Amino acid sequence: MTGHYCDLSNSDVFLTIGSNNVECHPVSAKWVQKAHDKGATWIVVDPRFTRTAACADIYSPIRAGTDIAFFGGMAKYILDNDLWQKEYVRNYTNAAYLLDPGFDFDVKTGMFSGWNEQTKSYEFSTWGYQVDETIPADASPTGAFAWTTEDGVPEFTPPGNKVPKKDMSLEDPQCIFQIFKKHYERYDLDTVSAVCGISVETLELVYKTFGSTGAPDKAGTIMYALGQTQHHYGVQNTRAMGVIQLLLGNIGLAGGGLNALRGEPNVQGSTDMGLLVHNTPGYLAWPTVAKYPNLRTWLDLETSSGGFYTNKPKLFISQLKEWFGSNATLQNDYGYDWLPKLGSDNDVTTMSTFELMNTGFIKGYFLWGQNPAQSTANTKFAREAMSKLDWMVAIDIVETETASFWRAPDLDPATIDTEVFLLPAALPFEKAGTVVNSGRWLQWRYKAVEPFDQAKPDLEICDLLWKEIVKLYKDEGGANPEPILNIKWDYDIDGKIDPRAVAQALNGYVIEGKKLLTTFGDLKADGSTASAMWIYAGFYANNDAPLDPSEQKVGARGREDKGGLALFQQWSWAWPLNRRVLYNRASADVDGKPWDSSRSLVNWTGDAWDNNDVADFVASRVVDGAPTPVAPNNNAFFMNWDQIGRLMIHSLDMPVPEHYEPFESPTDNALNGRENSPMIRFADKESVKKGTREEYPIAVTTYSVVEHWQSGSQTRHCPALVEAMPHQFVEVPEKLAEERGIKNGDLCRVFNNRGSIHVHAFVTPRLHTLLINGKEVHQIGLPHHWGWASMYSTGDVVNDLAPNVGDPGSYIPEYKAFLVDIEKA
Amino acid sequence: MAKLAFYFDSSRCSACKGCQAACKTWNSLPSPLGQDENPFTGSYQSPLDLNGDTRLLISFSEVAGGSKGVEWSFGRRSCFHCTNAGCVQVCPSGALAHDEETGMVRVTEDKCIGCQYCKYSCPFNVPRHYGYNDKINKCTSCLDRVSHDRQPACVKTCQSETLMFGSRDELLAKANERVAKLQEQGFERAAVYGGNELGGLGLIVVAHHGIESLSLPANPRISGMVNLLDILKPLAGLGAAAVLAGLGVSFLTGIGYERHKLRYDEETHDIIDDETNEVLAHFDFDEEE
Repeated sequence: MTGHYCDLSNSDVFLTIGSNNVECHPVSAKWVQKAHDKGATWIVVDPRFTRTAACADIYSPIRAGTDIAFFGGMAKYILDNDLWQKEYVRNYTNAAYLLDPGFDFDVKTGMFSGWNEQTKSYEFSTWGYQVDETIPADASPTGAFAWTTEDGVPEFTPPGNKVPKKDMSLEDPQCIFQIFKKHYERYDLDTVSAVCGISVETLELVYKTFGSTGAPDKAGTIMYALGQTQHHYGVQNTRAMGVIQLLLGNIGLAGGGLNALRGEPNVQGSTDMGLLVHNTPGYLAWPTVAKYPNLRTWLDLETSSGGFYTNKPKLFISQLKEWFGSNATLQNDYGYDWLPKLGSDNDVTTMSTFELMNTGFIKGYFLWGQNPAQSTANTKFAREAMSKLDWMVAIDIVETETASFWRAPDLDPATIDTEVFLLPAALPFEKAGTVVNSGRWLQWRYKAVEPFDQAKPDLEICDLLWKEIVKLYKDEGGANPEPILNIKWDYDIDGKIDPRAVAQALNGYVIEGKKLLTTFGDLKADGSTASAMWIYAGFYANNDAPLDPSEQKVGARGREDKGGLALFQQWSWAWPLNRRVLYNRASADVDGKPWDSSRSLVNWTGDAWDNNDVADFVASRVVDGAPTPVAPNNNAFFMNWDQIGRLMIHSLDMPVPEHYEPFESPTDNALNGRENSPMIRFADKESVKKGTREEYPIAVTTYSVVEHWQSGSQTRHCPALVEAMPHQFVEVPEKLAEERGIKNGDLCRVFNNRGSIHVHAFVTPRLHTLLINGKEVHQIGLPHHWGWASMYSTGDVVNDLAPNVGDPGSYIPEYKAFLVDIEKA
Repeated sequence: MAKLAFYFDSSRCSACKGCQAACKTWNSLPSPLGQDENPFTGSYQSPLDLNGDTRLLISFSEVAGGSKGVEWSFGRRSCFHCTNAGCVQVCPSGALAHDEETGMVRVTEDKCIGCQYCKYSCPFNVPRHYGYNDKINKCTSCLDRVSHDRQPACVKTCQSETLMFGSRDELLAKANERVAKLQEQGFERAAVYGGNELGGLGLIVVAHHGIESLSLPANPRISGMVNLLDILKPLAGLGAAAVLAGLGVSFLTGIGYERHKLRYDEETHDIIDDETNEVLAHFDFDEEE
């Protein structure tokens, strides 16, 4: 979330789209209701009439997978009806920037300029700005790169800063504002209505209502989740929402923002911690062989020419120092070469993992709190791939479908030689550590009870494994010993691995004397500081009580709400630096005056900043040894090199979000001449088995229900939750039920080329038969929580049906929109 | 009149069933443990009804129509803690009684003799009995928690402030205010339930789609059976054995198994099978007795 849960209480209009927030994030309901009580309007757009829709004021159905058409139409409506926040867009976005004259989009082919047929990806040269001049990096004593000359800082070439050409009147036909406007001219109400299956009246109502938050003193928020991301253009869905919020001036405001709701399995914390293949902890780039063969190329390519990431080398070198300790020196590039590098040919993202198992490249598989035999897309293929493994180690609190993949109903255990180890893990309440919520708030969670029987906390399992591996390497040697033997692993307290020691390492410290740091601003690129996780710097920084979490910011329990905007600055700690609303500079105009004085996050008084929240911009600078306020400027998005919000981008798979149809779609693309996004991942894999709309005419979306959690491993082992939602089901619109002779409660078969499952039918007016491009399309819904591994509640695996194709940026599978057929069993 | 009360606001309820699970957990009420033992109910409502191990459930009712295309109403099904409580009136053993401090209908399980009269006296069809010993099992308002200044388990777990527990007068005032506001917002059928029904209920309901959407009876009345059962009270009070030996035998065995299909005719004093119209039992008694 750019904001946080409590901040929802400040909104004027809510748009829940691609999220079922009261079911999947029940705590959000509390704060939305507070704003609702004050008169806020709540819109839900969803393929199904959900429990969230039941609570909202306005509901619109939508065909799954058409969000970009929906938001493109909204962008057009906002511009046509003059609802955009003009001063905000002009000053805080790249609307005024002139785009390269070679930029083009061909509606007939559905392709942007810059396509490279060899690499099957875009080159970005025509998506960039026209540049006035390039200012060389300033390493003089007062320059942004002065620190690069200090002893111990590795040599690299900081990039020069490009100064883009602008037209502040926004009238130049080559400025982004004009090109953006032209791009969405095709997204008129009638076209969007036909693509999305939403009536023109409902579209207008939703657009008008949400567009009203373009007024400077109004704040609108978008709540989204996997309904937006789980498409082969999921990243562009998210971009589309970001663009809308920039047009309306909603990013950075209390009650505004673009709020990804993340969930109970500490997903915010796990991505922070570098769980994703391409990240180290704190969202830094994981080295690859091709792009970053050595430290110098990493520093050259990753260091930003402007904004905060001019400091990136400090973050990365401090991380290397935490990992390799005194073994990391300037002479050996701080151990960079010891880091395992990702190869360019072996994609090891989740879906690709199963392709590599299938070909025999991956022979062993560690699973930590994950259940892909139930949860990945095209699970049937994933299970068959797993059956080719030599060994698997599953670490979980129960025996999951994956830990027991060999007894899946469609596999024959007698033919599978995989050796499976199941290590029992402790439950959340049986271990201490941190947990991070969707709003980036960290809390220390204390152990309540001892783990059951032989179960151990994950940290302890990891520690035992690591120490044993190191011992084996020392005693017997092995392949690639340097990374293993050079690692600093000193997280024991009183002879036992301890999360408090890990917290100190994450927070960061001056190595000499191990003084904990209160801000990542104090990290250095000269090897004198260490921090495994720069974004958490300050969360555990009380040097007077380093072993007492309750005396740290992460243990804060103050209930005061300074400013009355539900920021609760003293309750827990939000990364980064306890900042509650990201991009809060944009909550005030260029002169630093809040757009709405009743929503003041930051405020320039004429000679100083008077802020309720921690500034997300350069608010002060040390001049002659003293912190001195920095007068307001328009650098409201200083994590970008250009320090502004981007209506159009020069990276990823599209410069501006364009509608394409789901991989398996019930209709042709009515907006351009191309069916799928040209950069769709994995579509060419044999395992995918694409189905046509002639064979499988029914559109389907998958989702969660509040009673169960994800693959159900936890919740299907809780009898009270099983009783509350005991069986898998398919939700069927009344018209389809009538056509196929399906009655409420009937057992049905739902199937496509990848799988076939049996589920009970809920026949309901909450799902819809939509009119899409002139034809009726039935849309059904399947919750995905069931599998065979439970004492209490079992069912077929819904993800057997989902296609294993994905987004080229995030590699997320397209769970949310594909095709099936249904019949009474 | 109850001094404390529950408050349930259907316009805020997201039907997360947290209350349903918390009730089971706090009160150590079991759920079926067999693999796939729970039936498919054909609804998000599960179990479909209260039972010997379920004191509270969230009910679902969906109807096509309204500005959003569907009206999906979520209700709370549990004891209403009536002021004129049929169950209390009929209970021969004192197992059911109004708690003096709070006014809620409390349960003293040790006193329950399993006669199940309460079951037939309740206009809301609430009291159920444990399967293994036939003792009464219904919402106690978590008096064990309340007496230690804690909220009932269901209220404690509620995220959206749908459920509250506190001074009945204050909650009733809050409900009236809320309904006025909902009506302003266009919920024309919004109504408060529980203000005056049966002398005032200990569960005040704000029904934003109207009380019919939550299947609440418009004018709940204590079953005519209560008068009848009242006569049995002195007998039952002597203990279960006395009941079995007395008048009640044929009556109780007759209705014990067929509850949903029976009705009582106040004029003829007949217990009638609703499906077959067969008179299962007839009572001769003098009003003055």
